[in-house]
Amino acid sequence: MADETKWGIAHIHASFNNTIMTVTDETGAETLAKSSGGSVVKQNRDEASPYAAMQMAEQLAENVLEQGIEKVHVRVRGPGGNLQRSPGPGAQAAIRAMARAGLEIGRIEDVTPIPHDGTRPPKNSGY
Amino acid sequence: MRVALTGTPGTGKTTVSELLDSDLDVVHVNALVEDEGLYSEVDEDRDSKVADMEAVREWLAGEDDVLVESHLAHLVDVDRVVVLRCAPDELETRLTERGESPRKAEENAESEALDVILSEAVRIHGESKVYEVDTTGRTPEDVAADVDAAIAGDREPSAGDVDFTDYL
Ligand SMILES: Nc1ncnc2c1ncn2[C@@H]1O[C@H](COP(=O)(O)OP(=O)(O)O)[C@@H](O)[C@H]1O
Ligand SMILES: [Mg+2]
Repeated sequence: MADETKWGIAHIHASFNNTIMTVTDETGAETLAKSSGGSVVKQNRDEASPYAAMQMAEQLAENVLEQGIEKVHVRVRGPGGNLQRSPGPGAQAAIRAMARAGLEIGRIEDVTPIPHDGTRPPKNSGY
Repeated sequence: MRVALTGTPGTGKTTVSELLDSDLDVVHVNALVEDEGLYSEVDEDRDSKVADMEAVREWLAGEDDVLVESHLAHLVDVDRVVVLRCAPDELETRLTERGESPRKAEENAESEALDVILSEAVRIHGESKVYEVDTTGRTPEDVAADVDAAIAGDREPSAGDVDFTDYL
């Protein structure tokens, strides 16, 4: 049992001008590593760029691999930054970077919250 | 001119829409969707009607001098989009005090922290048409003055001036 590899969850929060990524254990309770756009790029406006997401993903992957996490499920929250057209690009760059760094990728879920108040928009109404 | 007054539920759109100097007719889209049955299905989890935006757009066709008020307002054709913002913690308090469930307050607060509506507004209309107004810690009258300025053209477009990701 001792060398059985463990799953983690990679949470990607992509707002208009920032990206925050955390890796937690499988229950989501314990944070194993955390990074935000500001830690990898100098310009504020680049914090939400796919490049920042990729840099963060590489660092996080290295960090959690050292902690014995070799596989992650991915949860993406947020419409993504000012340089991208859909929740895709930044998150996808991050996921590819994690895979390249040696993490096995499991399920990928989009769990972006939906503003609602008795009415709500249909899915993908804005695209 | 057609103006959208949008923002996450709880940012104060309905309150502010009643305090404006502007001559535009106010259309409250949430009520419109409900009253005219402009929805395609019901999201039971969120106790919300899934708006039929095509039907809403058709209903608004030919309405030339309107202020469209709703968290869906940026999804219709307009000349300008005013996006009200509010720090997620304060937003959650406002919604809870308005009598909303903790779950509804929380999902809206998270949406606000992730700039969901601002991002959609910019993606659909472009940064040159978006006017972001932070309402955190301000009175509705103060906010209304900023919205009037955006409508009157006395304010520059803006987007991304707040970062609420600390909430996450
Ligand atoms: N600037 C403000 N400061 C504090 N509370 C506000 C402000 N604007 C609105 N509120 C309160 O917050 C709640 C949500 O406002 P409301 O106008 O219903 O928002 P929305 O229409 O955007 O959902 C209401 O209870 C309202 O009284
Ligand atoms: Mg309202």
